[in-house]
Amino acid sequence: MIVRWVCEKDKKKWIYPVERCIYCKGLIKKQISTKAKIVGITKVNISSPLHPIVPYNVILLEDEFGNRMPKKTMKDYRIGDQYSLEKAKTDSAVAMTKIKYDLGDALRHTLGLLRFKFEDFDNVLIKPSIIEPAYPYQAVDTNPQILDELIMLLKEKGISDILVAEQSMPGNDTVAAAKKSGILDVCLKHKIGVADLGKSEYVEKEHEGMRLEIAKEVFERKVINLPIMKTNSQVGISGAMENMIRVTSPKTQKELFDKDIEKTLPLFVKALPGFLTIGDAVSGMQGDGPTSMGEPAFLNILYASRDPVALDAVFAETCMFPLPKCLEEAKNLGVGKADIGEIEIVGDELDTAKFRLKSADREATPHSRIRLLDGKADPASFNGALKMCSSLIGIGGYELYLAIGRHFTQEQLHGKSRIVAYGSDAISVLKNRGIGVIVEIPENAYDAEKIMMLKSVIENKDKTSLK
Amino acid sequence: MKMYIKGVGMTKFGVHAKTSQELAYEAIMEALDDAQMGISEVDEIVVSKGDSIHDGERQRLYPGVLSSILRDEGIPIIRVTAACSGGGSAFWNAVHSGKRNVLVLGIEKLTSSLTKFTTDEFMMAAERIYEQTEGLNFPAQNALVAQQYMMRHNATEDDLALVALKNHENAFDNPKARFYRKNVTIDMIKNSPVVASPLRLFDCSISVDGAAAAIISRDKTDIEIAGSSLYTSRLSAFESEDMTTWEAASLAAKDAYEEASLTPEDIDFAELHDAFTPIELMSYEDLGFAKKGRGKELIREGITNINGKLPVNVSGGLKAKGHPVSATGVSQVYEIVRQMRRQAGKRQIDKTRIGLTHNVGGAGSTATVHIFKNLGG
Repeated sequence: MIVRWVCEKDKKKWIYPVERCIYCKGLIKKQISTKAKIVGITKVNISSPLHPIVPYNVILLEDEFGNRMPKKTMKDYRIGDQYSLEKAKTDSAVAMTKIKYDLGDALRHTLGLLRFKFEDFDNVLIKPSIIEPAYPYQAVDTNPQILDELIMLLKEKGISDILVAEQSMPGNDTVAAAKKSGILDVCLKHKIGVADLGKSEYVEKEHEGMRLEIAKEVFERKVINLPIMKTNSQVGISGAMENMIRVTSPKTQKELFDKDIEKTLPLFVKALPGFLTIGDAVSGMQGDGPTSMGEPAFLNILYASRDPVALDAVFAETCMFPLPKCLEEAKNLGVGKADIGEIEIVGDELDTAKFRLKSADREATPHSRIRLLDGKADPASFNGALKMCSSLIGIGGYELYLAIGRHFTQEQLHGKSRIVAYGSDAISVLKNRGIGVIVEIPENAYDAEKIMMLKSVIENKDKTSLK
Repeated sequence: MKMYIKGVGMTKFGVHAKTSQELAYEAIMEALDDAQMGISEVDEIVVSKGDSIHDGERQRLYPGVLSSILRDEGIPIIRVTAACSGGGSAFWNAVHSGKRNVLVLGIEKLTSSLTKFTTDEFMMAAERIYEQTEGLNFPAQNALVAQQYMMRHNATEDDLALVALKNHENAFDNPKARFYRKNVTIDMIKNSPVVASPLRLFDCSISVDGAAAAIISRDKTDIEIAGSSLYTSRLSAFESEDMTTWEAASLAAKDAYEEASLTPEDIDFAELHDAFTPIELMSYEDLGFAKKGRGKELIREGITNINGKLPVNVSGGLKAKGHPVSATGVSQVYEIVRQMRRQAGKRQIDKTRIGLTHNVGGAGSTATVHIFKNLGG
């Protein structure tokens, strides 16, 4: 699909979205191609960080209006061939689109590639990611523009009963997060309610030995999951699957993590009614996500699928990460497809978008001297630990390990001597395993008290216990 | 207002252990010596240097750097960047500055960065969404242009090889060229690996470190800047109606000829922007040396050889002298001056009355054309 913005009066064309012609000041029309042929092709043999896989081809497309556009492909074409994209043949297909400035077009194009009918969506729950108060450029929360485009598209399709719902990470304020991320403004613009799922009514569901409390809206509405695609130091990536954790009560979230999130996440997703995911990688995050410790990845891609496992697997592959463990588990449980070779991918070719992103360091905290021993801690402990470390930035000292959660491996603990246990889970698990710690910091201590205890350890090399 | 060349300076183009400051200092010193003047007589400096996050220098405020090494706070220094046409654009700005003595400096440090990063950084001069994300690095971009040109005008890979061979033969005798005293044969060129089809390694210019400086002045000297033009066209070649004509270059040439009251037939020799061999062929046409589609005939008939009617890139060009991006445009002026003053050693050509430089940034986006008259006889 080649798009140009055209002033018919002045016969000018733009490759960028413009609303008015700078010459006649008149309105611009969009020119969208319906077909394109290949007029040029080059096989490229030199790699670069954004294009590590060689050789690849760049074809030059020309549409019926004479507009041209280069396109990277791993396929072999000949000059004169027609270029077209195939639509999905299976329900678990993943559509991916490299966005060409116009997010609305990219969204329509991406969904248009899937086996998907808007008629099936009478009332909708949109579930974005709004985990902490952060500006859109930080790529922590779902990009508000994609939410805006999605709401406009749904309304255009006659769907007016729309609810946006999310809850931020424990310890963060959902309203403040919605406000700073720009999500609240979009909802206000469309006069759409924003529900805090942390205060929802929950439907209790027994599933695979777990007692899940899931927000009732999930069962009353068709869910469009709208995660921002990110790295995640706890489970590898945050995307289609991880974003749905926050439709549960805080109590359930804790239970999911306590029972090992990499195993319970697939089980939980299996318990949910089917949903559509639109993966926002308008920027996407790399590095030490999923919080604002990560950094924007500038991916400029949209993903969509009815199979959250397949979507996440395609994202992981785009970033050239190994398959996260929870996706492997999900595949084994039959929740979705995780083997790239078995996933039907439509739209842009996966190999043309692949480049190595920075993965999340499982031990990273905001403080360079404090390493995290993350025993798959629940979001409240995880967020609390990061905030505590963040308060000590600028304080020099000696390396220590901050243990949180309850699932520690021998490998994690091996050779570590300066350990601080944070939260009742870590305190009890380490005590039971006979692991000595310098200090135990309960999660319910006052913030100032927690910070002072940690500061005291980091500043004192010889400290072996804190009385 | 007429402007003239007082002096020029240039480092050897190649792989340097020196910092960009040292290279700049060396080129400036040679230009000052050549002009027989001191730095305090300079009224303005226009510098061109690209930005790099991988070259280890992390030095963006280059006017300040220059001020630090020149130790004269009284000289206003401005920086001009225009990718590969940075040097030409800086020169154009200097010509139009209105000051009496202006020092133009082009400087680049490329070889301290890994090739993959240099490829990536050069690609930042392409359009981000349509080109960069689609893998259109500069060889690929120029390969698509070359293919259109070859299909439309029946040019062949042999024609491209002839351009490479000519420029390598010229560089053989240029002590400041990267390929000085390096034998390159037609077989080496034709059998070199394909970088982006149809372009082979020897169709591509070589990235090097280097600096070049020129001092231009309102005071009359032996070399007059008779025409000076800069045009900017759309960033992406695929946007042009005809990808095989770079509109900015042809417009700049037309203006420069008009200003100099000259025609393409008056040009005795030229330094052209042969970042890729097909671009030299296209440039013959954009500059009016050949009719559209007939640029190949100039190289086939040896017209642009060093002993031909219109020698092109006697320095070795970007291809074989080397292409330190922002320094390239100024180094072209260096060659014009050395030839006009008959200081070009073994590569000295006979007719040096009128010379032309042509410097392009991106795939035809920014182009400068300068015409020089030799008043020294």
